Amino acid sequence: MTVVRVRAIVVHELKILRQDPTFLIIFTLMPLLIMAFLKPTFRAALILVGNPGANGAEQAVPGMAVLFALLLVGNVGYAVFREHGWNTWPRLVASPANGVEIMIGKSVTPLLALCAQLTVLFVVGGVLFDLRVQGSIVGLVLVAASLAVTLVCMGLLLISVCRTVLQLQAGTYLGAMVLAGVGGALTPISSLPGWARHVAPAAPTYWAMRGFRSAILVPGSWTVVLWPVLVLLGFATFFALVAASRFRVGDVKIGWA
Amino acid sequence: MILCVENLHKSYGDVDALRGVDIEMNRGEILGLLGPNGAGKTTLVSLVAGLLRPDAGRVEVLGREPVSDARSVRAAIGLAPQDLGVYPSLTVIDNVTFFARLHGFRGTDLRRCVDEAIELLALSELAGRRVSTLSGGEKRRVHTAMAIVHRPKLALLDEPTAGVDVQTRSRLVDAVRHLAEAYGTAICYSSHYFGEVEALDARIAILDNGMVVVQGTVSEVIHAHAKAALELTFDGPAPEWRDDPAERTDSQLRIYTDEPAADIVRIVPQLQHTGTSLRSVRIVHPTLESVFLQLTGKDLVAPSEPIGAAL
Repeated sequence: MTVVRVRAIVVHELKILRQDPTFLIIFTLMPLLIMAFLKPTFRAALILVGNPGANGAEQAVPGMAVLFALLLVGNVGYAVFREHGWNTWPRLVASPANGVEIMIGKSVTPLLALCAQLTVLFVVGGVLFDLRVQGSIVGLVLVAASLAVTLVCMGLLLISVCRTVLQLQAGTYLGAMVLAGVGGALTPISSLPGWARHVAPAAPTYWAMRGFRSAILVPGSWTVVLWPVLVLLGFATFFALVAASRFRVGDVKIGWA
Repeated sequence: MILCVENLHKSYGDVDALRGVDIEMNRGEILGLLGPNGAGKTTLVSLVAGLLRPDAGRVEVLGREPVSDARSVRAAIGLAPQDLGVYPSLTVIDNVTFFARLHGFRGTDLRRCVDEAIELLALSELAGRRVSTLSGGEKRRVHTAMAIVHRPKLALLDEPTAGVDVQTRSRLVDAVRHLAEAYGTAICYSSHYFGEVEALDARIAILDNGMVVVQGTVSEVIHAHAKAALELTFDGPAPEWRDDPAERTDSQLRIYTDEPAADIVRIVPQLQHTGTSLRSVRIVHPTLESVFLQLTGKDLVAPSEPIGAAL
């Protein structure tokens, strides 16, 4: 029965997304455009830090994928805040679906959206900008999947701490910029200032970028990404636990009407 | 028994929203919940739906507590909150189907219950339309259909006709009556419209300041709390009257009596001896509105439109 209710919510969320997929389309096309601008700069930066064979796509594709995936974190929250804005939250809470089923149902669609976005960015970006994966494709997929799960859990955390949709929006954009910068998505980690390199491991994006870099640049099996994947899943667990401890279905949330 | 509420208390900070409410509802019964704004109607509905936790007292739906046994209670209730709650970007059928799915309906059962709810609320021709393109009244009907699609044992309809036209109200009232009669659904129907509650032939509970001030059928409440009257208008000042309870204002005299028609022949000849000139006599029947005014000292916010006449 639980699966039935979660599936009902997932199907419902997919229908809502299908009615207005603008957000997802823009946040998938925009990074492809920016990759084109940044690839030459990243090529020079990667050569400077000891990657003579780099063409720039090794940083541009995963870097922009991580940045724009971070910008989709708000999607998890919007799925809840719009229920408050539409006054449908009380009736959803009064339905047989409990809080856990509602939140799982609400998380699946953003997770699928993130997976679709990352797939398009790596496949299309890889083809357009000549991203040569010298390591493991499986490893690349594992890191992308772990990143998507981590970001959805981060979205759940944001829901639990934000009271208004504007707070959610601010948290998403601020978090995206800070985490992308510190994690080495905006510029190679080795070119960051010393203090930033020291705090970088505290950011999940650092582990995502490290995993992507290993899968792309280091020849070998998927096991080279094992540690980054485990750390990302550790972040995901932490975010989910904090979100679960703070979130109450009866909390007042102010969404857009 | 479907619903049992005993000595229910709920406060928000210093404000006592409910102060010892007792209500019982049986299968197929319609309870009209009347009360001015802030009387506690929405708080009561929210407590029954398990959206709020009571401070004291007991709520049981089918013998189960809404908070501690949330799943089984929520499977049995259908809630249409006071504020319109619909998914504007989805079609009517998608809105209604979603709640049927949440209640576990699948396959042909799903299609049948969705079709029935849509037909009951006269939404068949709008089924494929996006809710954002509908009128206010049509949205209200979708809002109600989402609450009753699973044929709940108890439907909590919190001001389902707020802000809609008389025809929409009439349709909603018809749907509510059908739901109670055909499926035995107990319906708790809060409203600002006296006529609507009278048209539903509902048992009523008048809430004021967090307490039920009166409960019973419309006729029981009227007979217990109000009297008919003879309203006499004079050319010049009205005379005094001491034989029955009466009110005198300038040229009008209102005499309260159980049998106004019969008492005309007793009262009018006596008045002719007072030397006044009687211009007209009118029998004033007591109404739910006059009872409400008498018991609460307040008028309902919404005008009491004659919905009964439209039904």
